[in-house]
Amino acid sequence: MEKIGSDLYAALIVGERWKIYLEGLANTLLLSLIACLVGVLIGVTVALLKTAAAGKKSVGWRVIAGICEFYTTVIRGTPVIVQLLILYVLVFNSSFAACIAGFGINSGAYVSEIIRSGIASIDPGQMEAGRSLGLPQGKTMRLIILPQAVKNILPALFNEFIALIKETSVAGYIAGRDLTKMSDALRLRTYNSMPLFIAAAIYLALVVGLTAVQKRLERRLARSDRS
Amino acid sequence: MIEVKGLEKTFGENQVLRGISETIRKGEKVAVIGPSGSGKSTFLRCLNLLETPTAGQIFLEDTELTSAQCDVNAARRSMGMVFQHFHLFPHLTVRQNITLAPVQLGLMTQPQADEKADALLARIGLLEKAETYPNMLSGGQKQRVAIVRALAMNPEVLLFDEPTSALDPEMVGEVLDLIREVAAEGMTMVIVTHEMGFAREVANRVLFIDEGIVVEQNEPVSFFEHPQNERLKSFLSKVL
Repeated sequence: MEKIGSDLYAALIVGERWKIYLEGLANTLLLSLIACLVGVLIGVTVALLKTAAAGKKSVGWRVIAGICEFYTTVIRGTPVIVQLLILYVLVFNSSFAACIAGFGINSGAYVSEIIRSGIASIDPGQMEAGRSLGLPQGKTMRLIILPQAVKNILPALFNEFIALIKETSVAGYIAGRDLTKMSDALRLRTYNSMPLFIAAAIYLALVVGLTAVQKRLERRLARSDRS
Repeated sequence: MIEVKGLEKTFGENQVLRGISETIRKGEKVAVIGPSGSGKSTFLRCLNLLETPTAGQIFLEDTELTSAQCDVNAARRSMGMVFQHFHLFPHLTVRQNITLAPVQLGLMTQPQADEKADALLARIGLLEKAETYPNMLSGGQKQRVAIVRALAMNPEVLLFDEPTSALDPEMVGEVLDLIREVAAEGMTMVIVTHEMGFAREVANRVLFIDEGIVVEQNEPVSFFEHPQNERLKSFLSKVL
């Protein structure tokens, strides 16, 4: 008991080390948030392109569909660490920029699938009804399909964000200063593993909190479910 | 009004329509009957290009819908479609369901469209449902709203794809009554249906489609009383 106390003291209080966790946490959150935004941007674009290209036969659309398919296959088929390393070594000198790009591009592939399946879950009759009234495809998508698909998409998107928070813990691989890396660095100064447990506790609190938010969101969406 | 020349449609290996040529004149009510899988719904869906024909031409007045330059969206404005499963927009109120397309396409302002929607709803006795959502309606009410949604666009033609097949039996009457009323006002209609009595009463002409071609057509009395083709005779003997 005394040992835990002194370990905690060494891991948190000495030299105001608690500030280091906060800095790491801030970086982790910033990274997750921006990467998630980039991911949503890419994901929405890819999902809409894939949906629009489905069933079209012109060469242009085939090429677009091929590129989108290649993107999701490669990104989902290779480890995120390898993607980060490649970006860090070949494209970006800054570790933060490489992290944003890497996690953004990575999560974009998953987000695009979330959105595509959200759109696909809407009865094709809805698109037909809109088109039969003379509405163009884009307007039908925006006014009829997406408002209904959002209910399926939002909870899954939130899950993706929660997963991303944990995933960014590999940022240290390319010298990212996230919560995991900062805590691990502290370990070398405290000579005990307490910083890692503290990092774990912070991640857990974060994920449990966000999951609670997500549950509430899901319930609210279900309440407004009129279909 | 609508002219169809040599219409063919193939899904993969499966040729559903094998060359249909038909002229539908203004004000005519054409009923299309046939066994399931005969291609009658595909025929109807080709008319407003919900299915892209594999071969053949379709003309609406002087516009060739099947030409690459044709503005399909503009053509569809004048062809209303009523689906078997209604396809009302569940996230919009009944009134919004009716006003969405006319307003979005710039044909009416929102107040004009609202006024028109309310007049149409009053006509079908559902004005008090204007603010509710479609899932609060019965099947018959949904289909009647779907019909006035199509009417709100002031179409030249209405296409009905088995409009009563998904309804509970006690609700078929109210929907058929509305279709009958709209027909009496002179609307051009193409109706795919299993309601033989209704086809006989409302249609000027009945088409029997089987295996992707129009096997027989006639005005309704002769069609039902003196069928010529063996397949039609056998079909009628099963459904009448």
